[in-house]
Amino acid sequence: MKEKDDSLRDDALRHLDEMTCLLYIERQLDRAKAQEVSSHTQECGACRTLLRALERESRLLTRAMLEEEEALPARLAQFQERARKSMQWIWTVAFGLAATGVYALYTGYVEPWQQQLEQAGFGGSNLLSLLIFQGALWKGWQSMITLLEVLALVTLGGFAVAFLRKRVRRGSALAIVLAGFCAALVLQPASAWASETRKGESVGVSSDETIKGDIFLFGERVRVDGTVEGDVFLFGNDANINGHVKGDVIAFAKYLQVSGTVDGNVRAFTNTLTVRGTVAKNVLTFSDLMNLESAGKAGGSLTIFVENLNLEGSLGRDILIFAKHFTLSGKVGGGIRMKGDQLTINSNAQVEGPIRYEGHKEAEVAAGAKLASPVEFHKLERRPRYMQGHYYLWRVIWTAALVLFGVVLFLLLPKFAEETIAAAEQYGAPIGLGVLVFFGVPIAAVIACITVVGIPLGILALGFWFLMLCCAEIVVGTVVGNWILGKAHDSAGLIGRMALGFVLVRIIYTGLEQMHVIGLLAALGIFMWGMGSISLALYRRLQPTIAGGAPSGPYTPPLPPNTTVGGIQPA
Amino acid sequence: MSAPGKMEPAGAIARARTGDADAWGELYREYAPAIFRFCRRALPTREDAEDATMDIFMKLKDKLVQYDQSRSFTAWLYKVAANHCWDVLRRRKTRQDKETEDVENVPLEHPDPNQLDKLIEQRSSEEVRRALERLGARARMALVMRYYSDMSYDEIADALGVRRAFVGVVLLRARHELRQALGQGGALAAGGAS
Repeated sequence: MKEKDDSLRDDALRHLDEMTCLLYIERQLDRAKAQEVSSHTQECGACRTLLRALERESRLLTRAMLEEEEALPARLAQFQERARKSMQWIWTVAFGLAATGVYALYTGYVEPWQQQLEQAGFGGSNLLSLLIFQGALWKGWQSMITLLEVLALVTLGGFAVAFLRKRVRRGSALAIVLAGFCAALVLQPASAWASETRKGESVGVSSDETIKGDIFLFGERVRVDGTVEGDVFLFGNDANINGHVKGDVIAFAKYLQVSGTVDGNVRAFTNTLTVRGTVAKNVLTFSDLMNLESAGKAGGSLTIFVENLNLEGSLGRDILIFAKHFTLSGKVGGGIRMKGDQLTINSNAQVEGPIRYEGHKEAEVAAGAKLASPVEFHKLERRPRYMQGHYYLWRVIWTAALVLFGVVLFLLLPKFAEETIAAAEQYGAPIGLGVLVFFGVPIAAVIACITVVGIPLGILALGFWFLMLCCAEIVVGTVVGNWILGKAHDSAGLIGRMALGFVLVRIIYTGLEQMHVIGLLAALGIFMWGMGSISLALYRRLQPTIAGGAPSGPYTPPLPPNTTVGGIQPA
Repeated sequence: MSAPGKMEPAGAIARARTGDADAWGELYREYAPAIFRFCRRALPTREDAEDATMDIFMKLKDKLVQYDQSRSFTAWLYKVAANHCWDVLRRRKTRQDKETEDVENVPLEHPDPNQLDKLIEQRSSEEVRRALERLGARARMALVMRYYSDMSYDEIADALGVRRAFVGVVLLRARHELRQALGQGGALAAGGAS
């Protein structure tokens, strides 16, 4: 027995092992080792036979695998045509909706507003620039133009890079945008923040004082009796402008009285605004009550969102007004456009332009009033919204516009869209996070806005929150689309599912909206789910990539003893 | 499948890279049968192979921009297909096969070449295909990559996520599994001495 064992061991030592033979026929051995095998097989018939058998086995495998025993399935033969057709359908729908959405948005909203605001004397050709860059709300925005321009350019650049080089994925584009943002913050002119700030119970500018630049005033009582050569920013309870302001007045106050002279504009967010002095340019206000007293003058236009407006003084140009009651006793140099409950024009009123009034009751016009033309009245009907044809028209238009928005987003950020939808399909986590984001972000943004330096950050946060709000329904729609059509294989499929699901969600929601509480709950559910999904996808993307999060590679056992890169050494 | 030595449709590839749907269709017609057969060999069922073929060609649209035109398109396409199929198998956790075994089990002995020769002689291609279907995921995947699409050891290592030096072990083990599945593997796989 022992002799037989020894004989077998000798045989094993003399012959090549199978691993070496396989690596030899596969040309994976280094030159020296291959020569050794070659020399051995010239003398050893058994090893030569083994090499030949392994080669035959390789050929058998290749032949067996390459043989076409079954034809291409009909499903695959038709797949190409179906894919093309489905893509055409999706693109036709997408572009159709896109064109409808853009046209409807422009003609329905942007153009009328633009015309109205131009008529009202703002003269801006662009609504965005009017509201933001021309300092309608905050003069500081003018200094932010550089920042926004840089940010916009960098954002566009980031998208361009992502488009041109699809390898630039994940956080790269975002990193570029953020880097650009930081650079813009660092590089923006320091003068944007140069201003004087005064705080206290009672603050102001005394009559013998002249402020050379802008001034920020925070206090319970704020008075400007002297001269300010820049802008005045007021935050207080009771504010009076008795002096001379050469720039604009931007006020957040309970009561604001302008008795002095303002060479620029007045933008006021107040409870009561009274103008008995002179405002050389325009007045924009969100107030409960506004009085332009008989001694008061405004050289430009008046844009007002108010409960009650009494106009006894004179106005150089047009009025655009959203008010419950408007009583006119003074002079208006331009026309009037009003939407509200009641318009009363007294006998000593004078209007040099056309008057268009949309309301519930007809205008009351006194006999002595001097009007360029009769009041053009359009009665507002109090029918439920769902009884009105244009409600449905606008639902369709908005659906088209939001589908267009979704298409653009999915094309710009295909990977992120996929991640967001994947996050949305987890249900619990996104809804929980959505509750937090839905309520938390606006609160945080408002807190940030309380500090002046935090205003840009707060506004950006609110803007982003609003963007997520707009996207929420798109996310939910896509999940619904996935439920119906199954998971998408590519961006085009995802867009198709988004369009289908979104339209269905809108149809269902339009029905639910009429049932007040249920409609509200449905809307909240959609917003929270969608916003939570976006937040979750963002959170995951911003997490550093760690091995544990990556798909785990297969188990790699240790190599056997005597193994080298060239293969296993003969025993 | 483009036969070895046959010219690859460079024009269609270039046009497909720019998003031309017709060119993509051309590539699909040219390569779909080969990719379907690859998937058929690598995946457990015909339905899986059909789904995988469609997925691979949909992926191809996005991935074409990453293709280096100086290299073989066919080889690249097989690499995409191999990665996809392995991904599918891995997601299903079907890799509970021999790769988790102790590597010491790889026989280093000299098997009986005559028995092996006889086995190869007696078995038809059809029997080999049926035996392949009974193999573990990694073994089958490795054999398909090597003997169907002629992928290099480096490419196989990359697709399977193993070290290059381990590819030979995977292939040899797969052959042993195959021989066992063919019904004659006992002595051969165990490595009977001559």
